Amino acid sequence: MVARRNPAREAPIAQMRRGTLEYCVLALLRDEERYGFDLVRALGELDGMVTSEGTIYPLLSRLRRDGLVTTTWGESPSGPPRRYYRLTDAGREALDAFAREWTRFRDAVDHLMEGGGR
Amino acid sequence: MAKAPDDLIAAYLRRLADELRDLPKPRRTELVEEIREHIAEARTGLPSQDEVDVRNLLERLGDPGDIAAEARERFGIPPAKSGAREILALIFLPIGGVLLPFLGWFVGMALLWTSRVWTSRDKWIGTLLFPGGLAVPFFLAVFATSGGSCPTVSGGTRVIQTTCTGGPSGPEQALVVAGMIVLVVVPIATFVYLLVRLRRRTEVPALP
Repeated sequence: MVARRNPAREAPIAQMRRGTLEYCVLALLRDEERYGFDLVRALGELDGMVTSEGTIYPLLSRLRRDGLVTTTWGESPSGPPRRYYRLTDAGREALDAFAREWTRFRDAVDHLMEGGGR
Repeated sequence: MAKAPDDLIAAYLRRLADELRDLPKPRRTELVEEIREHIAEARTGLPSQDEVDVRNLLERLGDPGDIAAEARERFGIPPAKSGAREILALIFLPIGGVLLPFLGWFVGMALLWTSRVWTSRDKWIGTLLFPGGLAVPFFLAVFATSGGSCPTVSGGTRVIQTTCTGGPSGPEQALVVAGMIVLVVVPIATFVYLLVRLRRRTEVPALP
Protein backbone atom coordinates (compact mmCIF):
# COMPACT_ATOMS: atom_id res chain seq x y z
CA MET A 1 0.00 0.00 0.00
CA VAL A 2 1.06 3.53 -0.61
CA ALA A 3 1.54 5.24 2.71
CA ARG A 4 -0.44 8.43 3.01
CA ARG A 5 2.18 11.14 3.16
CA ASN A 6 1.78 14.19 5.27
CA PRO A 7 2.81 17.21 3.21
CA ALA A 8 3.10 19.37 6.32
CA ARG A 9 5.80 17.13 7.76
CA GLU A 10 7.50 16.05 4.62
CA ALA A 11 10.34 18.04 3.17
CA PRO A 12 9.72 21.41 4.75
CA ILE A 13 12.43 22.87 2.53
CA ALA A 14 10.57 21.72 -0.57
CA GLN A 15 7.38 23.21 0.83
CA MET A 16 9.11 26.50 1.49
CA ARG A 17 10.61 26.59 -1.98
CA ARG A 18 7.24 25.84 -3.48
CA GLY A 19 5.57 28.58 -1.47
CA THR A 20 8.12 31.20 -2.47
CA LEU A 21 8.40 30.19 -6.12
CA GLU A 22 5.41 32.21 -7.23
CA TYR A 23 6.86 35.36 -5.68
CA CYS A 24 10.16 34.68 -7.40
CA VAL A 25 8.23 34.65 -10.67
CA LEU A 26 6.53 37.92 -9.77
CA ALA A 27 9.89 39.41 -8.75
CA LEU A 28 11.42 38.47 -12.09
CA LEU A 29 8.61 40.40 -13.76
CA ARG A 30 8.90 43.45 -11.54
CA ASP A 31 10.90 45.58 -13.96
CA GLU A 32 10.35 43.99 -17.32
CA GLU A 33 8.02 41.72 -19.20
CA ARG A 34 9.40 38.34 -20.15
CA TYR A 35 8.35 35.46 -22.34
CA GLY A 36 7.81 32.00 -20.90
CA PHE A 37 11.06 30.40 -21.96
CA ASP A 38 13.13 33.35 -20.72
CA LEU A 39 11.33 33.29 -17.37
CA VAL A 40 11.79 29.57 -16.95
CA ARG A 41 15.49 29.73 -17.79
CA ALA A 42 16.00 32.63 -15.37
CA LEU A 43 14.38 30.61 -12.58
CA GLY A 44 16.38 27.54 -13.55
CA GLU A 45 19.59 29.49 -13.02
CA LEU A 46 18.70 30.16 -9.39
CA ASP A 47 20.33 27.41 -7.43
CA GLY A 48 17.89 24.91 -6.02
CA MET A 49 14.71 26.69 -7.08
CA VAL A 50 13.50 24.48 -9.90
CA THR A 51 14.20 20.86 -10.71
CA SER A 52 12.09 20.43 -13.82
CA GLU A 53 11.38 23.42 -15.99
CA GLY A 54 8.00 22.22 -17.16
CA THR A 55 6.51 22.53 -13.68
CA ILE A 56 6.74 26.34 -13.91
CA TYR A 57 4.01 26.48 -16.54
CA PRO A 58 1.19 25.32 -14.28
CA LEU A 59 2.25 28.06 -11.87
CA LEU A 60 2.25 30.70 -14.63
CA SER A 61 -1.18 29.53 -15.68
CA ARG A 62 -2.43 29.83 -12.11
CA LEU A 63 -0.95 33.32 -11.67
CA ARG A 64 -2.61 34.44 -14.85
CA ARG A 65 -5.95 33.07 -13.74
CA ASP A 66 -5.59 34.80 -10.39
CA GLY A 67 -5.00 38.06 -12.24
CA LEU A 68 -1.48 38.59 -10.91
CA VAL A 69 0.05 38.48 -14.39
CA THR A 70 -1.26 39.04 -17.90
CA THR A 71 0.06 37.86 -21.22
CA THR A 72 0.34 39.63 -24.53
CA TRP A 73 1.73 38.41 -27.82
CA GLY A 74 4.82 40.19 -29.00
CA GLU A 75 7.24 39.95 -31.88
CA SER A 76 10.33 37.83 -31.55
CA PRO A 77 13.57 38.83 -33.29
CA SER A 78 13.87 35.22 -34.38
CA GLY A 79 11.04 32.82 -35.08
CA PRO A 80 7.33 32.97 -34.24
CA PRO A 81 5.69 35.55 -31.92
CA ARG A 82 6.14 35.06 -28.19
CA ARG A 83 3.74 35.22 -25.29
CA TYR A 84 5.03 37.90 -22.92
CA TYR A 85 4.14 37.90 -19.23
CA ARG A 86 3.66 41.17 -17.39
CA LEU A 87 2.84 42.01 -13.79
CA THR A 88 -0.64 43.45 -13.13
CA ASP A 89 -1.37 45.98 -10.38
CA ALA A 90 -2.69 43.15 -8.23
CA GLY A 91 0.50 41.22 -8.91
CA ARG A 92 2.63 44.17 -7.86
CA GLU A 93 0.66 44.52 -4.64
CA ALA A 94 1.01 40.82 -3.86
CA LEU A 95 4.74 41.04 -4.52
CA ASP A 96 5.21 44.09 -2.29
CA ALA A 97 3.23 42.49 0.53
CA PHE A 98 5.33 39.34 0.25
CA ALA A 99 8.58 41.32 0.13
CA ARG A 100 7.72 43.01 3.45
CA GLU A 101 6.76 39.75 5.12
CA TRP A 102 9.80 38.02 3.69
CA THR A 103 12.21 40.60 5.09
CA ARG A 104 10.75 40.25 8.58
CA PHE A 105 10.73 36.47 8.35
CA ARG A 106 14.26 36.25 6.98
CA ASP A 107 15.64 38.60 9.62
CA ALA A 108 13.96 36.63 12.41
CA VAL A 109 15.27 33.30 11.11
CA ASP A 110 18.75 34.70 10.49
CA HIS A 111 18.80 36.08 14.00
CA LEU A 112 18.07 32.63 15.44
CA MET A 113 20.36 30.76 13.10
CA GLU A 114 23.26 32.98 13.98
CA GLY A 115 22.77 32.26 17.67
CA GLY A 116 21.23 35.62 18.51
CA GLY A 117 18.36 33.96 20.39
CA ARG A 118 20.49 32.85 23.31
CA MET B 1 16.45 2.64 -32.21
CA ALA B 2 17.01 6.15 -33.51
CA LYS B 3 14.01 8.41 -33.44
CA ALA B 4 13.37 11.63 -35.26
CA PRO B 5 13.41 14.60 -32.85
CA ASP B 6 10.01 15.72 -34.15
CA ASP B 7 8.53 12.36 -33.24
CA LEU B 8 10.02 12.52 -29.75
CA ILE B 9 8.50 15.93 -29.20
CA ALA B 10 5.12 14.92 -30.60
CA ALA B 11 5.09 11.86 -28.32
CA TYR B 12 6.05 14.00 -25.32
CA LEU B 13 3.23 16.47 -25.98
CA ARG B 14 0.72 13.68 -26.51
CA ARG B 15 1.69 12.15 -23.17
CA LEU B 16 1.42 15.54 -21.53
CA ALA B 17 -2.08 16.15 -22.91
CA ASP B 18 -3.06 12.70 -21.74
CA GLU B 19 -1.67 13.19 -18.23
CA LEU B 20 -3.48 16.54 -17.99
CA ARG B 21 -6.88 15.01 -18.72
CA ASP B 22 -8.21 15.85 -15.24
CA LEU B 23 -7.84 19.58 -15.89
CA PRO B 24 -10.55 21.73 -17.44
CA LYS B 25 -10.03 21.81 -21.20
CA PRO B 26 -8.95 25.49 -21.46
CA ARG B 27 -6.24 24.94 -18.83
CA ARG B 28 -5.06 21.80 -20.52
CA THR B 29 -4.91 23.40 -23.97
CA GLU B 30 -3.10 26.41 -22.55
CA LEU B 31 -0.45 24.31 -20.80
CA VAL B 32 0.21 22.10 -23.79
CA GLU B 33 0.50 25.19 -26.01
CA GLU B 34 2.92 26.93 -23.68
CA ILE B 35 5.11 23.88 -23.39
CA ARG B 36 5.03 23.48 -27.16
CA GLU B 37 6.21 27.09 -27.47
CA HIS B 38 8.88 26.48 -24.85
CA ILE B 39 10.21 23.50 -26.81
CA ALA B 40 10.21 25.47 -30.08
CA GLU B 41 12.07 28.31 -28.36
CA ALA B 42 14.56 25.97 -26.71
CA ARG B 43 15.27 24.24 -30.02
CA THR B 44 16.37 27.46 -31.70
CA GLY B 45 19.12 27.68 -29.09
CA LEU B 46 20.38 24.12 -29.50
CA PRO B 47 23.81 23.51 -30.95
CA SER B 48 22.35 20.78 -33.14
CA GLN B 49 18.97 19.27 -33.73
CA ASP B 50 19.91 15.66 -33.18
CA GLU B 51 18.16 13.13 -31.00
CA VAL B 52 20.47 13.52 -28.01
CA ASP B 53 19.96 17.28 -27.77
CA VAL B 54 16.21 16.96 -28.04
CA ARG B 55 16.15 14.21 -25.43
CA ASN B 56 18.14 16.41 -23.05
CA LEU B 57 15.77 19.27 -23.69
CA LEU B 58 12.76 17.12 -22.81
CA GLU B 59 14.59 15.76 -19.77
CA ARG B 60 15.07 19.30 -18.53
CA LEU B 61 11.39 20.01 -18.97
CA GLY B 62 10.59 17.04 -16.79
CA ASP B 63 8.25 14.11 -16.82
CA PRO B 64 4.74 14.92 -18.14
CA GLY B 65 3.36 13.11 -15.09
CA ASP B 66 5.20 15.51 -12.76
CA ILE B 67 4.00 18.54 -14.71
CA ALA B 68 0.44 17.23 -14.51
CA ALA B 69 0.76 16.55 -10.76
CA GLU B 70 1.98 20.10 -10.29
CA ALA B 71 -0.90 21.44 -12.38
CA ARG B 72 -3.46 19.49 -10.36
CA GLU B 73 -1.98 20.86 -7.18
CA ARG B 74 -1.86 24.46 -8.41
CA PHE B 75 -5.49 24.27 -9.51
CA GLY B 76 -6.66 22.30 -6.50
CA ILE B 77 -7.85 19.31 -8.49
CA PRO B 78 -7.59 16.09 -6.49
CA PRO B 79 -5.91 13.25 -8.37
CA ALA B 80 -8.35 10.71 -9.74
CA LYS B 81 -8.80 7.96 -7.20
CA SER B 82 -9.17 4.36 -8.11
CA GLY B 83 -12.35 2.78 -6.82
CA ALA B 84 -14.83 0.04 -7.56
CA ARG B 85 -14.74 0.77 -11.29
CA GLU B 86 -11.02 0.08 -11.55
CA ILE B 87 -11.15 -3.01 -9.34
CA LEU B 88 -14.04 -4.47 -11.37
CA ALA B 89 -12.21 -3.65 -14.61
CA LEU B 90 -9.16 -5.53 -13.34
CA ILE B 91 -11.36 -8.55 -12.59
CA PHE B 92 -13.46 -8.48 -15.75
CA LEU B 93 -10.68 -7.86 -18.26
CA PRO B 94 -8.77 -11.10 -17.65
CA ILE B 95 -11.51 -13.47 -16.47
CA GLY B 96 -14.78 -11.73 -17.31
CA GLY B 97 -14.97 -13.64 -20.57
CA VAL B 98 -14.65 -16.93 -18.70
CA LEU B 99 -17.26 -16.12 -16.05
CA LEU B 100 -19.68 -14.63 -18.54
CA PRO B 101 -18.65 -16.02 -21.93
CA PHE B 102 -17.63 -13.20 -24.32
CA LEU B 103 -19.89 -10.61 -22.73
CA GLY B 104 -17.76 -10.38 -19.58
CA TRP B 105 -14.77 -9.04 -21.43
CA PHE B 106 -16.86 -6.26 -22.96
CA VAL B 107 -18.00 -5.31 -19.47
CA GLY B 108 -14.31 -5.02 -18.56
CA MET B 109 -13.75 -2.88 -21.66
CA ALA B 110 -16.54 -0.49 -20.75
CA LEU B 111 -15.13 -0.12 -17.23
CA LEU B 112 -11.59 0.39 -18.51
CA TRP B 113 -12.49 3.07 -21.05
CA THR B 114 -14.72 5.03 -18.67
CA SER B 115 -12.06 5.14 -15.96
CA ARG B 116 -10.39 8.49 -15.28
CA VAL B 117 -7.36 6.89 -13.72
CA TRP B 118 -5.72 5.10 -16.63
CA THR B 119 -4.21 7.00 -19.54
CA SER B 120 -5.29 6.40 -23.14
CA ARG B 121 -2.09 4.47 -23.69
CA ASP B 122 -2.89 2.19 -20.74
CA LYS B 123 -6.37 1.69 -22.15
CA TRP B 124 -5.09 0.67 -25.55
CA ILE B 125 -2.67 -1.78 -23.96
CA GLY B 126 -5.52 -3.18 -21.87
CA THR B 127 -7.64 -3.53 -24.99
CA LEU B 128 -5.21 -4.99 -27.49
CA LEU B 129 -3.27 -7.43 -25.25
CA PHE B 130 -5.30 -9.59 -25.80
CA PRO B 131 -8.95 -9.07 -26.67
CA GLY B 132 -11.01 -11.53 -24.69
CA GLY B 133 -8.46 -11.94 -21.91
CA LEU B 134 -8.05 -15.42 -20.50
CA ALA B 135 -11.32 -16.53 -22.09
CA VAL B 136 -9.48 -17.20 -25.35
CA PRO B 137 -6.95 -19.75 -23.99
CA PHE B 138 -9.62 -21.12 -21.65
CA PHE B 139 -12.10 -21.96 -24.38
CA LEU B 140 -9.33 -23.15 -26.69
CA ALA B 141 -8.24 -25.58 -23.98
CA VAL B 142 -11.80 -26.75 -23.44
CA PHE B 143 -12.24 -27.16 -27.17
CA ALA B 144 -8.93 -28.97 -27.59
CA THR B 145 -9.52 -31.54 -24.85
CA SER B 146 -12.97 -32.38 -26.15
CA GLY B 147 -12.18 -31.84 -29.83
CA GLY B 148 -9.67 -34.64 -30.34
CA SER B 149 -12.26 -37.16 -31.29
CA CYS B 150 -11.71 -40.86 -31.68
CA PRO B 151 -14.70 -42.25 -33.55
CA THR B 152 -14.88 -45.98 -33.19
CA VAL B 153 -16.18 -47.97 -36.05
CA SER B 154 -17.68 -51.19 -34.86
CA GLY B 155 -18.86 -54.03 -36.94
CA GLY B 156 -21.17 -56.25 -34.97
CA THR B 157 -19.44 -57.07 -31.70
CA ARG B 158 -15.97 -56.51 -33.04
CA VAL B 159 -14.14 -53.19 -33.11
CA ILE B 160 -12.92 -52.74 -36.65
CA GLN B 161 -11.12 -49.40 -36.49
CA THR B 162 -10.43 -46.53 -34.14
CA THR B 163 -9.29 -43.30 -35.80
CA CYS B 164 -8.01 -40.48 -33.71
CA THR B 165 -7.95 -36.96 -35.10
CA GLY B 166 -7.00 -33.61 -33.66
CA GLY B 167 -4.09 -34.84 -31.61
CA PRO B 168 -1.03 -33.16 -33.10
CA SER B 169 2.29 -34.56 -32.08
CA GLY B 170 5.94 -33.64 -31.95
CA PRO B 171 7.00 -30.12 -32.97
CA GLU B 172 3.44 -29.23 -33.82
CA GLN B 173 2.37 -29.93 -30.27
CA ALA B 174 5.25 -27.90 -28.88
CA LEU B 175 4.09 -24.99 -31.00
CA VAL B 176 0.54 -25.32 -29.69
CA VAL B 177 1.80 -25.41 -26.10
CA ALA B 178 4.00 -22.34 -26.68
CA GLY B 179 1.04 -20.53 -28.24
CA MET B 180 -1.12 -21.38 -25.26
CA ILE B 181 1.52 -20.10 -22.84
CA VAL B 182 1.65 -16.78 -24.71
CA LEU B 183 -2.14 -16.56 -24.65
CA VAL B 184 -2.13 -17.08 -20.88
CA VAL B 185 0.92 -15.02 -19.94
CA VAL B 186 0.14 -11.89 -21.96
CA PRO B 187 -3.28 -11.18 -20.36
CA ILE B 188 -1.74 -11.76 -16.93
CA ALA B 189 1.13 -9.40 -17.74
CA THR B 190 -1.40 -6.82 -18.93
CA PHE B 191 -3.30 -7.23 -15.68
CA VAL B 192 -0.12 -6.61 -13.67
CA TYR B 193 0.75 -3.60 -15.84
CA LEU B 194 -2.68 -2.01 -15.32
CA LEU B 195 -2.46 -2.67 -11.59
CA VAL B 196 0.96 -1.01 -11.36
CA ARG B 197 -0.24 1.98 -13.38
CA LEU B 198 -3.22 2.30 -11.07
CA ARG B 199 -1.02 2.45 -7.99
CA ARG B 200 1.41 4.85 -9.58
CA ARG B 201 -1.36 7.27 -10.47
CA THR B 202 -2.99 7.10 -7.07
CA GLU B 203 0.16 8.07 -5.20
CA VAL B 204 0.40 11.53 -3.73
CA PRO B 205 2.40 13.54 -6.26
CA ALA B 206 5.99 14.26 -5.34
CA LEU B 207 6.88 17.82 -4.60
CA PRO B 208 8.83 19.53 -7.34
